Amino acid sequence: MPQTPMPLLKGTLDVIILRTLGWGPAHGYAISRWIRQTTGDELQIEEGALYPALRRLEERGWVESSWKTTETGREAKVYRLTSLGRQQLQSELKSWTRYVAAMARVLETRPAEALA
Amino acid sequence: MRPDEELPLSRRLPVDEDVDRELAYHLAERERELVGQGMDRERARAEAQAAFGDVGKVGAECREITRRTRRAFRRAETVEGLRQDLVLAWRLLRKTPGFTFAAVLTLALGIGANAAIFSVVNQVLLKPLPYEAPEQLVDIVEAHKNGWGNVPWANMLDLRATSRSFQGMASYGSGAATALTSAGPLRIRQAVVSEDFFRIFHVTPMLGRLPVAEEHREGATPVAVVSESFWRAQLGSPADLTTQRIRTMRDYQVIGVLPRGFAFPANADIWVPLELLGPSLNRTAHNWSVVGRLEPGITVETVKRELDTLTARLAAQYQPDFDGTGAIVTPLQSQLTAASRSPLYLLLGASGLLLLAACTNLASSMLARGLARNREVAVRIAIGAGRLRIVRQLFTEATLLALLGCAAGLGLAAVLLRLLVSLAPPALDLAKVRLDGWVLLFTALVGMTTTVLIGLFPALRTSGAEPGLALREGGRTGHSPAERRIWSGLVIAEVALAATLLCGSGLLIRSLGRVLEVDPGFRSDRLLTVAMSLPTAVYEEDAKREQFWTRVLEAVRAIPGVEVAGLTSALPLGGDNSSGSFGIEGVPSGPAGYGPGGAGYRMVSDGYFTAMGIPLLAGRDFDQRDVAGSAPVVIVNQALVHQWFKDKDPIGHRIRLESGMDNQGDGWLTVVGVVGDVRHRALTQPPAPETYVPLRQRPTRSYSVVLTLKTRGDPAQLEPAVRQTLAAVGPDVVPLYATMRERLSASQTDRQFTATILSAFALVALLLAGVGIYGVVSYTAVQRTREMGIRLALGALPAQVRGLIHRGALGQVLLGLGVGLVIAFAATRLMRSLLYEVTTLDPLAFAGSAALLILVAFLASWYPAWRIARLDPMQTIRSE
Repeated sequence: MPQTPMPLLKGTLDVIILRTLGWGPAHGYAISRWIRQTTGDELQIEEGALYPALRRLEERGWVESSWKTTETGREAKVYRLTSLGRQQLQSELKSWTRYVAAMARVLETRPAEALA
Repeated sequence: MRPDEELPLSRRLPVDEDVDRELAYHLAERERELVGQGMDRERARAEAQAAFGDVGKVGAECREITRRTRRAFRRAETVEGLRQDLVLAWRLLRKTPGFTFAAVLTLALGIGANAAIFSVVNQVLLKPLPYEAPEQLVDIVEAHKNGWGNVPWANMLDLRATSRSFQGMASYGSGAATALTSAGPLRIRQAVVSEDFFRIFHVTPMLGRLPVAEEHREGATPVAVVSESFWRAQLGSPADLTTQRIRTMRDYQVIGVLPRGFAFPANADIWVPLELLGPSLNRTAHNWSVVGRLEPGITVETVKRELDTLTARLAAQYQPDFDGTGAIVTPLQSQLTAASRSPLYLLLGASGLLLLAACTNLASSMLARGLARNREVAVRIAIGAGRLRIVRQLFTEATLLALLGCAAGLGLAAVLLRLLVSLAPPALDLAKVRLDGWVLLFTALVGMTTTVLIGLFPALRTSGAEPGLALREGGRTGHSPAERRIWSGLVIAEVALAATLLCGSGLLIRSLGRVLEVDPGFRSDRLLTVAMSLPTAVYEEDAKREQFWTRVLEAVRAIPGVEVAGLTSALPLGGDNSSGSFGIEGVPSGPAGYGPGGAGYRMVSDGYFTAMGIPLLAGRDFDQRDVAGSAPVVIVNQALVHQWFKDKDPIGHRIRLESGMDNQGDGWLTVVGVVGDVRHRALTQPPAPETYVPLRQRPTRSYSVVLTLKTRGDPAQLEPAVRQTLAAVGPDVVPLYATMRERLSASQTDRQFTATILSAFALVALLLAGVGIYGVVSYTAVQRTREMGIRLALGALPAQVRGLIHRGALGQVLLGLGVGLVIAFAATRLMRSLLYEVTTLDPLAFAGSAALLILVAFLASWYPAWRIARLDPMQTIRSE
């Protein structure tokens, strides 16, 4: 049974982008494709939203960009993490892991006795 | 990696294109992916766009973010660039401390001189008078056929009553007086002012009150107000004024203290009502100055027309006892500053030239320094540094120098200002001059100008530089003919500026010399003068004053060192120029051209002419016969005889002084003697007709008298003995001592002031020109080392080689001199009013300046020439 895609939590896109670029430089379309493939359409992301997010990350100095020729011989704007961005990625990963763990605990633990 | 990546963000694709291309790429790739999955092209495109969302909105958002990012980046880049430029400039300056020190010193001289002179100009000429709405204040004098005079009291009253243009109008006068106070006798400056005076200036007393209308009436109780400084320093700041009394002409009750800083007129200590003294109602008695406050919106021209009409009406009514023909109305500020305006603007202009000279000097040293840095600059251009960046770097260096120069200049200005204050004539009143906000602003402007001037040439040079050439030549010479021309041009400009200043100062010095050479008509050597004002209240009776002066004469004549002693009501050059018209018996309508200013009016005792060395040319001096009640007599000077008696013997003729000169009997005075002419008003004004009457016959005005003593030795040495004698005769009088020599030189302080400062500027400019010549000659000499070596090897004498170098320098100096003299011809015309018996083209001043400059040029090129002429020729040839 096909499930309805979940809306994205605020700020999550930034973490996803940083994580993606953490594997290596990529142009916007490649990032978009990667997200689509890895989330398997579970997350509802408007593809266009990626680009302002990338530029905001650039404004903060976490990523930098330049125009490069791709394997297909076309010009694409390629982004890569700066060292500042890499630090940011590390700290975001840590807080996400803690967040998810906390959520998991609270959602999966059954109380030993009645709460009231 | 594409080279693109090396460029800073700001130099990449334009924002619009950057965004559009990125988004288009995404859509195209997506579409291709879908087509690859078997979708037809139309559907694929629609699907791609649907998945993307609103392309327009996303694009706009992206553009906004990127624009913001790039702006911030550019700002950071500029700040960082400036910081780097400053650090680099500072390092370069530190690497050459000698150059930096000389440069900052040069600039400090130029900027300091400007800041100091500007603060004086600002204080004296530009700052509005410290009164409310000062533009409404005007000075009013009466116009006459032959000039002008003060507005007679009676006329002032009529004008004040009938004019509609004034909020207020008042007569006033001022002078030195001896005051008896609780602190003993004091010599003070007393102002006599009529009703309306304080209202005109919007003065409110800081303590007590001002005189009310009833106290401005003849016969009223005498009251006085004092200045804040007098109240503090002489009265001891009493809060209660009721016990404070001051006796001068009357016994005044002090009723008020004026606010601090109010000192009009003439830095007065006390102000007393004029009406109390019963001023003469004679319509030709030009005794009092007049000040008025115009109604808002009334212009000086309008009020002048109105007063002209009113004066004409009065003239018609009171002829023939009326000599006014109209009014001269001047804004009070310009009237007060009239005398100092020309010299101060002259000095400001001169300091501007000095700054130009300093900048020119520095521009040429920076050019020379730039040559040494040719290679560095060439390398930077070759590795791709923008030309703009290099020019900016040079300007940063200039800015840094100018900043340092401004800082040092302001320090120097503070010192110069103190020097100026000590040199300035008292009339200039520089005590309040400060380096205030305006001066700082002015200095900042001067600093900016300086930056442009000294940065311009090096920058021009650099922008035309050929990096390839400089590098190939190993950065060794790198000196194009164009640069050489700029450098010579700068040196020529320096010489021209120095020449201009030298000519100006030469003219002033020559004038000063001419003035001091003038024969004043009296002998100033071995002459001691003692000014004494009797406290009027104590010496109210004529007989008492006459006794006093007789005792003074007897007492001082008994002092062993005194050769001759005499008294006068007004010393030459002393500022008292009382004069009036006169008639000659038997000449019906009086002398032709009869009018005020006809002849000076002095009261003197016997012995005065002898003491002053004024020759008696005919008749007799005053003596024991000429006392109160005896037949009235007069002595006239040669100018009067020449003008009105056509050089015929006037002895025995009778003349009559017209305008209320306290005449006795029928007013006719018998001429008993003729004396030599004296320059009374100023050394620069030719002698005018004078009349002298015996002091003892005319005691009415003998309150302020100057004792003149011809001494056997140094007059200053005799002062203690005279002081002791006078203290015994008149303990309630405060005498003021000065040798006649001191008075003479004091009368020239304004001239000396201007001449001294201009000369100092000229000498600094001369020095700068010398340094400039030295720089360029040294450089040329080094350039021509090989040539000179060959000449020496071929048998040229060292003297001939030296001559070549000198001649090169002389060429530039002569050119500069030519330009400078032409500028001076034009510029010195502006100083005509400051010159005395010297034309603006005085050959001696111009030739002297030229000779001085040529001498300096020779000295400046002497060392480089000497050094090159003693080189070993073989070595110089090999070294290339």
